[in-house]
Amino acid sequence: MVLYDDSATLAGSCSGSSSSFSSKPPPMQQQQDIDDLLAGAGYKVRSSELRKVAHRLERLETAMVNSPADFSQLASDTIHYNPSDLASWVDSLLSEFAEPPTCPSEFIMDPVTNQTVANDVWTTTNPNMPQVHHNISYEQQSLNNQLTVVTAMEEDSGIRLVHMLMTCAECVQRGDFSLATSFLKDMQGLLTRVNTVCGIGKVAGHFIDALSRRIFQGIGGGSINGGSAFENEILYHHFYEACPYLKFAHFTANQAILEAFDGHDCVHVVDFNLMHGLQWPALIQALALRPGGPPLLRLTGIGPPSPDGRDSLREIGLRLAELARSVNVRFAFRGVAASRLEDVKPWMLQVNPKESVAVNSIMQLHRLLGSDSNLNSPIETVLSWIRSLNPKIMTVVEQEANHNQPGFLDRFTEALHYYSTMFDSLEACTVEPDKTLAEIYIQREITNVVSCEGSARVERHEPLGKWRTRLSGAGFRPSHLGSNAYKQASMLLTLFSAEGYSVEENEGCLTLGWHSRPLIAASAWQAVSHAPAALDTHRPVVSGACDRNFSSTHPPTALASLLFLKRNDEEEICFESGEKGTPGLDWPYPNKEREMGKNAASQHVHVSISPHLSTPLALPYNIFIRDGHFILT
Amino acid sequence: MVQNHHRGCHRQGNHETVGESKEKRPKFFINDHVDILIEILKRLDCRSLCVAASVCRLWCTIARNDSLWENLCFRHASPPPTSVRSVVLALGGYKRLYMGCVRPVRRRLGRARRASWAGDEVQLSLSLFCVDYYERLGGSNSNGRLVVGESSPSSSLMFLCKPVNV
Repeated sequence: MVLYDDSATLAGSCSGSSSSFSSKPPPMQQQQDIDDLLAGAGYKVRSSELRKVAHRLERLETAMVNSPADFSQLASDTIHYNPSDLASWVDSLLSEFAEPPTCPSEFIMDPVTNQTVANDVWTTTNPNMPQVHHNISYEQQSLNNQLTVVTAMEEDSGIRLVHMLMTCAECVQRGDFSLATSFLKDMQGLLTRVNTVCGIGKVAGHFIDALSRRIFQGIGGGSINGGSAFENEILYHHFYEACPYLKFAHFTANQAILEAFDGHDCVHVVDFNLMHGLQWPALIQALALRPGGPPLLRLTGIGPPSPDGRDSLREIGLRLAELARSVNVRFAFRGVAASRLEDVKPWMLQVNPKESVAVNSIMQLHRLLGSDSNLNSPIETVLSWIRSLNPKIMTVVEQEANHNQPGFLDRFTEALHYYSTMFDSLEACTVEPDKTLAEIYIQREITNVVSCEGSARVERHEPLGKWRTRLSGAGFRPSHLGSNAYKQASMLLTLFSAEGYSVEENEGCLTLGWHSRPLIAASAWQAVSHAPAALDTHRPVVSGACDRNFSSTHPPTALASLLFLKRNDEEEICFESGEKGTPGLDWPYPNKEREMGKNAASQHVHVSISPHLSTPLALPYNIFIRDGHFILT
Repeated sequence: MVQNHHRGCHRQGNHETVGESKEKRPKFFINDHVDILIEILKRLDCRSLCVAASVCRLWCTIARNDSLWENLCFRHASPPPTSVRSVVLALGGYKRLYMGCVRPVRRRLGRARRASWAGDEVQLSLSLFCVDYYERLGGSNSNGRLVVGESSPSSSLMFLCKPVNV
């Protein structure tokens, strides 16, 4: 027990010191209150104070363990305590570790927390303390140490901070910005009292920043979303190193893709966010070692365009190609530069009908959930063209959180819980600078969730249940991740030194969480097989033959052309297509043409003028071109 | 452990010659019999092998041989298909694989080891090794701006190097 240990270590300190310590003789009524059992051991503790003293002894132990070895001074003989008066002895020791209460009056007025109780504790023991303090012959410890001691005061400050955050968010939702601003000031003051190096203080600091950004800068998003793609890549990379979420995502998705590609010799992977391509070395290696030998692997990586003319996608492709060459895997890479995923059109991916396609989306689909005023929401558009590719497997990894609720307060509360858990899990990482940069990465997410609205808010996370509904409605059926994926994920997590991670299986999907709160969910889907033409029965389907003619000299906008179409039932129709914006086909974007023009395959359609004119087809239509045939849907 | 092997061979050498004249007893130097030395070193564990590498130049050369480390990697697992070797050699060799990935992975998983994981440990190590190779590629290839792994060359394996917080 703690009591006896302390007495053993400090036995020396009470020798000969009683002369300088004048303990008040306890008044008669208190004498009868002394606990009998402890009195037999030599300690005088009031029975009513037993619980308090025990609690404080625990805190003292925590403080001694956490302090940077300064407490060796406590064991010297020059300290005058009377350990038999256990309550005051513990209090005086604790006071050396903890910061003194700075402004007790403020806490008394707060009805929310139980600060009033804390005040009572201090006031009752204060009469005992001054005498002891006079006799302390060593210098008071510097209270500016970065001790990670969580005293009762700090805990209550943390709780108070959370309450104030909620209240402030509620004010923001109501539109009461003046009250919210005053709360912000209070919170910033409270932050100075709370340890902001770890724990609730750090997360609260980020949320306070995000709230102030929302209040003062409006909901336009400011500079966060304008952070350059290069910065994002670096932060993403460090987030990858610091914690296992992305590694889990990559390895699980790779396992699903590997199993889906079993037996296929011509495979094509479409990656919705290439970044540094960290997911693909492991897949290339696994394909190289698979029993039947490696297939021909084509990788299409989608990423944001590089601002300064540097083709970062191509560089990553070259790196991956070199790796593939080292391990003897036939490899081809293609980069598609698009700043938003909904700008990508399926023909840009140049899917060969003979190959098996895998679509890989790591935390990208939620960005499409912002609803514009257009008819087709971006997510439906993208899901429909994914389905039209008829992929063998689609791997979807998304954050397991509900950050897309319309109400601000709900969103805020949910985000507070989610990111607190995530920051907790990040505490275990000790690799710098990964940890700091990973925190900045998460901080950007927080800022986007809290302080942006409309099209600026791209972090619209939805939980797994909603994604299931959405994907099932778009024509996909779930493909269960096998036990191999689960085993691999468990092994991967065991490698991380923090003991709090847990992998769970949720109806065929795997979730990775911290202390049983799932934070990221990985799932795999297959397209319910269908012919693309039957997708939308409202629109007439037109298909026909065309000549494919690659013209590199004519920029697309100058291609004024007529398309000669032949309907399936032999009726000839044709319509006029001019530049973008005029009624007609939606021609590809000019900058995409430059990308596509590198390869020989052509997406242009040869034109010929037909003498027969019929009713022009109305927009919008998607055009798929395959092997000399095109399909409009 | 190395000492015992050495002594054992010495004893064996003495035994063979005991039948001959006792005055002329040819000494047995293990370094003269490199094939036996290789067989012995093949069976050592990692720490002993590293210690053996600092005995003399011959031992160092032999201990650096990748096939010894290949044995170490697959010691507790079933023998791998032959294609693995070319892949591993392309990615940097067995010694690097063992020291960088297999050893920390085995040590970490040792706490929670299950028998069925032995082969998967090596597979997982191989995947991590491949990612590491890829990151190292970035250091030598690009014009410098793209590289983030340059500052910490094998940063993807750094999480394996931290002391485990038990």
